[in-house]
Amino acid sequence: MSETMQEASVQDVQERSVIDRSVRYPVLFFFTAAAGWLFLATLLGFASSLKLAAPELWDACPWLGYGRLFPAHMDALIYGWGMQAGFGVMIWLMARLCRVEVKNATTLIVAGNVWNVAVLVGVLSVWGGYGTSMPWIYFPAFLWPALFLSYSVISGTLLMMFKRRRGGEAYVSQKYIFGAALWFPWIYATANLILHHTGGSAVMDAGVNAWFMNNLIYFWFIPVGLSSAYYIIPKIVGRPIYSYQLAQVGFWALAVLAGWTGFNRFLGGPFPSWMPAIGGAASILILIPVAAVAVNFLGTMAGRTSLMHYSPSLRFTVFGGIMFNLYGVFIALSSYFDVSRYLQFSYATVGFDILIIYGFFSMVIFGAIYFIVPRITECEWPSGKLIRFHFWYTSYGIITIIVFMIAAGLAQGGAINDWSGDFMDSVRRGNGYVVALAIAWALISMANLAFYYQLLLMFFGWGRKTEGPTLIHKKPGEAMSAEAAAGFAKEETA
Amino acid sequence: MSEENSTEPNLDYQGGRPAVREAHDAVRREKPDPVADSSNKVLISRVVVAGVILVAASLYFNAYSNTFDRSDEFIHPGYVAAPRPSLGGGPVEEKPWIETWMADGKKVYNSCTGCHQASGMGTPGLFPPLKGSEWVNGGTERLSMIVLNGVTGPIEVAGASYNNPGMTPWGKLLSDEKLAQVLTYIRRNFGEMPDGKSGVVTTAMMKVARERHGDRATQWTVAEMESVSADAELPGEEVDLNTGESAGGSVEGAESAESPESE
Repeated sequence: MSETMQEASVQDVQERSVIDRSVRYPVLFFFTAAAGWLFLATLLGFASSLKLAAPELWDACPWLGYGRLFPAHMDALIYGWGMQAGFGVMIWLMARLCRVEVKNATTLIVAGNVWNVAVLVGVLSVWGGYGTSMPWIYFPAFLWPALFLSYSVISGTLLMMFKRRRGGEAYVSQKYIFGAALWFPWIYATANLILHHTGGSAVMDAGVNAWFMNNLIYFWFIPVGLSSAYYIIPKIVGRPIYSYQLAQVGFWALAVLAGWTGFNRFLGGPFPSWMPAIGGAASILILIPVAAVAVNFLGTMAGRTSLMHYSPSLRFTVFGGIMFNLYGVFIALSSYFDVSRYLQFSYATVGFDILIIYGFFSMVIFGAIYFIVPRITECEWPSGKLIRFHFWYTSYGIITIIVFMIAAGLAQGGAINDWSGDFMDSVRRGNGYVVALAIAWALISMANLAFYYQLLLMFFGWGRKTEGPTLIHKKPGEAMSAEAAAGFAKEETA
Repeated sequence: MSEENSTEPNLDYQGGRPAVREAHDAVRREKPDPVADSSNKVLISRVVVAGVILVAASLYFNAYSNTFDRSDEFIHPGYVAAPRPSLGGGPVEEKPWIETWMADGKKVYNSCTGCHQASGMGTPGLFPPLKGSEWVNGGTERLSMIVLNGVTGPIEVAGASYNNPGMTPWGKLLSDEKLAQVLTYIRRNFGEMPDGKSGVVTTAMMKVARERHGDRATQWTVAEMESVSADAELPGEEVDLNTGESAGGSVEGAESAESPESE
């Protein structure tokens, strides 16, 4: 294993240019639409947490009730932002790694439009009071075939690219994307068929719902996020992955274990006890892929951490990697009764979901977007200052959410277990912490406004046209001469 | 790398592909894509770490799975749905019905403490006491009438006379159940029940009281209440203090007592 990768050849550069141009429109479409949804989703998150903190607010308006705001917020975040931004990253990465051009850009854009219209109808239905009240499947029953179909087209394109791939053995990022392309239709169709059409037992339906939520995390958000991180980190650091073998172990371990999780959201619940137990055991075993990621990222970054000071992509990705490890440890710990009796059914669960969807997935995707967009639009991000703003406001917001939601969970958990106590008492114990949730979503909304603004400028081709990457902080040499600085930046930072 | 590009001769046209010169700076400056690496070496430390996690997971499964038992036993053996000891929890015991009933009555009594005091001693000269009061110790019917509709004018209680603007009529504010609870509470807590009498007023008894006296518009005066005998009891079944269910016997109700309203 060489210490650094070889320099890119002229042919490589040509090839990349051609591929980037072929995916330009679908990828840019997905990113821009997703960023719009993200801004809406974080505003809804702010409004719903404000409503939690001050329940008498906007009492007269049913559209602004918590029961509608929160589901609309979660579904806009998951389907509007998360999955859609993921599509963009998947398409670009798959094309780049398979070294093939995308031939059906128009089909992808049509599928993307179907997806957006379906999400729009879904979010408006939830907002208008026609949601299903099933977590993360809040959209009314008639919508899932549209989303399923649109996803199938996108995933079919990805699989076709994989089939046409050039070069040797598939890289681990390609495997993750390949997996995510196939896993989502499986879990989404299973959950929707059971919950909307064939289900019967209400208790079992809750279990199926929990299984879907966990698998959406383990079979979609995590693979897509990791595929991006496994690309961005070695790319920017300019070194191969520390241990490729570990990366593969991580992939196969996740593929084998993820499907077993889910019922551990109901430890001690009204299921045969082996069901939650098997989910808990799988969550503990998932520490193996989690540890593999930790070792790999740390090993690859070793001695080059200073690059995080400059490169937006690397900084966002590494932040996401840390959150991923944190999530793995939290979930393994809360598989134990003695931990989960204080955290289960409390705000802590919300905190964990935000930790993985926002702290890990979204941050890694931001990193990828900061990397990809200059290449496909052929202009540079307008402002490093705004990227810095985006990073700090988002990371403060996320850390606030995690810390305060776990604290709220601990405050609530004891009260929920007290059978002689009043249920409202346990709700009230979490009240103070919800204020922090509202503040955090406000911070994140501001950050996303900055992100959306920059992305729109890039979308219309109004980015910076001069050479050299847009960095979070200027390189020390940059003051001397722009030419030299650009050369220096090129050496170390993508 | 950039130097290399700028000195590269004649790359303007290569099989219809764009020349490197046309490639955007972002593409030119980036490093090669990472690739798969098929080297195989087994690090014993990693195997050990994975083994530890594996053992932890199997111990966990052993402890929590109830060995795939598919009987009705859903909860794993060690798990007791009880509050933490620090919250005053212990083994779950079923409380006797009367304790809950009295505890609920005490909550309702919070509305009465302003005048009659938590001790039931009242305020000398202003509000009559409940402790030692012949009205509390007497029959339940008169007591229920007082609580339902309130009293006004002079009244003699425990050897002292009181003359106040009147007691609040609670009938419109509280349900039969709450009234029954508070009556039970004051009778058992402040009253002196003769042997064999539990002092319990049930919701069913209170319902009868409301049927007889509930639709009265004004407060009672003592003179008006005298039409009901001082020891008249509301009719109803006696209850088992442990279960709260009918104990078989019935309280001798003053079935024939006529409501003063019907005159």
